Amino acid sequence: MTAQLPPRLAESINATLADLLENDPRLLLMGLDIGRLGGVFRVTRGLQQRFGADRVRDSLVAESGIVGQAIGMAMGGLVPVCELQFAGFAYPAANQLLSQAARLGTRWNDTVAMGMVIRIPAGGGTRGVEHHNDSNEALFAQAPGLMVAFPSTGEDYDEIMRYAVDLGSPVVIYEPIRLYWKRIPALVGAGSSASPTSARIVRHGKDVTVVTYGALTHDVVRAAHELSPDVDVEVVDLRWVAPIDVDTILESVARTGRLLVVHEATRRGGIGAEVAAVVAEHGFHTLRCPVRRLAPGDRQHPPADLEHEYLISAEQIKKEILVMTR
Amino acid sequence: MDVSHHILLSRAIGRTEFAGIHAPPQERISNVNTGHGIEIDDEVRRLLLRTMLVTRGIDEEAEQLQRQGALDLWVSCQGQEAAQVASAIALGPRSTIFPSFREHGVALARGIPPDELIAQWAGRTFCGWNPWQHLFFPYTLVLAAQTLHGVGYSIGARLQSRDDFVVVYVGDGATSEGDMSEAMNLAAVESASVLFICQNNGWAISKPAAEQMSTSVAERARGYGIDSSSISGLDPEVVYTECLRAARHVRTSRSPFLIEARVDRIRGHSTSDAHEQYRTSEDLERVAAADPVRVYSERLLERGVVDDRWIRGVAEDVGESRRRLIEAYAS
Repeated sequence: MTAQLPPRLAESINATLADLLENDPRLLLMGLDIGRLGGVFRVTRGLQQRFGADRVRDSLVAESGIVGQAIGMAMGGLVPVCELQFAGFAYPAANQLLSQAARLGTRWNDTVAMGMVIRIPAGGGTRGVEHHNDSNEALFAQAPGLMVAFPSTGEDYDEIMRYAVDLGSPVVIYEPIRLYWKRIPALVGAGSSASPTSARIVRHGKDVTVVTYGALTHDVVRAAHELSPDVDVEVVDLRWVAPIDVDTILESVARTGRLLVVHEATRRGGIGAEVAAVVAEHGFHTLRCPVRRLAPGDRQHPPADLEHEYLISAEQIKKEILVMTR
Repeated sequence: MDVSHHILLSRAIGRTEFAGIHAPPQERISNVNTGHGIEIDDEVRRLLLRTMLVTRGIDEEAEQLQRQGALDLWVSCQGQEAAQVASAIALGPRSTIFPSFREHGVALARGIPPDELIAQWAGRTFCGWNPWQHLFFPYTLVLAAQTLHGVGYSIGARLQSRDDFVVVYVGDGATSEGDMSEAMNLAAVESASVLFICQNNGWAISKPAAEQMSTSVAERARGYGIDSSSISGLDPEVVYTECLRAARHVRTSRSPFLIEARVDRIRGHSTSDAHEQYRTSEDLERVAAADPVRVYSERLLERGVVDDRWIRGVAEDVGESRRRLIEAYAS
């Protein structure tokens, strides 16, 4: 008997979307090439054939138009789930997301539901060309009215997407491109999430708390295992970068006394800065050493040949942890 | 027109001056068949004029309230009353409207009370009216953003087998935004039941339309595959007729249409604008002379569609509305 292979992330996402389309008539998918082609990453493969071109809609090459028309559809009671193909192509849609989707519920005095989800494939590590590697979640996490998730596993994705489509306000879900077609073993010893919006402690430890999210969660867990038993690392997968589950972080830091934040997006003004600030404000007395951030410096994602010196590796994570616990 | 008409009209529409301005000659009209099987009767004419006079009075009062510090900002629609009121009345109370931010005449024609209309300009709320009750959605200052919402709303309504007729108002300046191009192309490709009404008042704050575009908006729409027309937005009967015709076209062909209504901007872009700095006095005199509210008032008086007593009655109603606004916002 062969062991059951874990599903790939893209397959998990596809199954979640198919199930939602099957059971929720309000739901429709929109995005560039998501229908006939199944998306440039084939995440939505087969869904248009199964649910029709009205519900799995190949959009025009106009990102503002995708989000703008989704807003109109949401006003009418539909729940559009839009794909923006690459995070680097999200910028033309930023006006509709930030000035409109995020604010319309409030501007309508809460008399309109703005149920919509924006899926954004993001991140490097696939030798992507030019704008194909962006991780711009911090830009959207800063906007009141938007919730922003960055799950690291298919199980979490399923829980978050089901929460998002019923929320009645816009949710941005980042999807780590480099995990799409990888078989990712379940996170051994991972606890379950307390709620769809909470962070998840994916490895318990007593020496240092490492907060991370997205694809790097798996690198952090690997680093943690490799440091064991010399250093006992607790790993918190944020899952949501807006809002951030502050309680889970503070409780973890209160146990370990040390905090490292690791992410793939630029360090400056990033999610790590927010996490560090929250712990400085509310958990300073529990810290045994300064908070540290491990994230790329203030420069653009480089051409693929130089990616190895830009992306955060498990080796760097281990080094950073050792600096803090030595 | 005798002097008493002038005085009554002045009272009806506020501080507008008529001295030295002669009404242009008009041909006689009664129940004119417009050639599209659309007839305008005198009841409609009186409704058009009454709503235009109310819009002018509320607009002038809002401007005065801003000068007193009771409102933070006001964007006048003076010069655009005919286009706004006549389109709103032609389209009826059940069509869903995505406005820009200056469609006060549309709002008032929809029955939105003046105090609800100006509440957001006094900093009391983001939107003073109930959008669902009036099917008149909140204003947006982010130009052309609403054009995509309107097209999406129409596409979604069709998917849900609901009435998919949608009206999107937009100004000439906003047509330079990318969202307007995306919305027109999307509406054309999806054959969405959207009526775009572009009020071209010739100015995007200080940038004249001639520097904004090399073609008319109507001509640009045709480039996207959208049928369109360009009309005078100063004559409410022209606007009324064309909106009825265009709405019928959209509903029967289930495809978009764009009306470019050429209007004038009598006041500055907003109460923070000083348009005397960039407009010539000749231009400002020209638009004052062509004031659609005054011209239409005089026309209906001359033709006996309304009389002094009627004008006096409207003036009293407008005065009462203005007093109520002052009580609500400046006392």
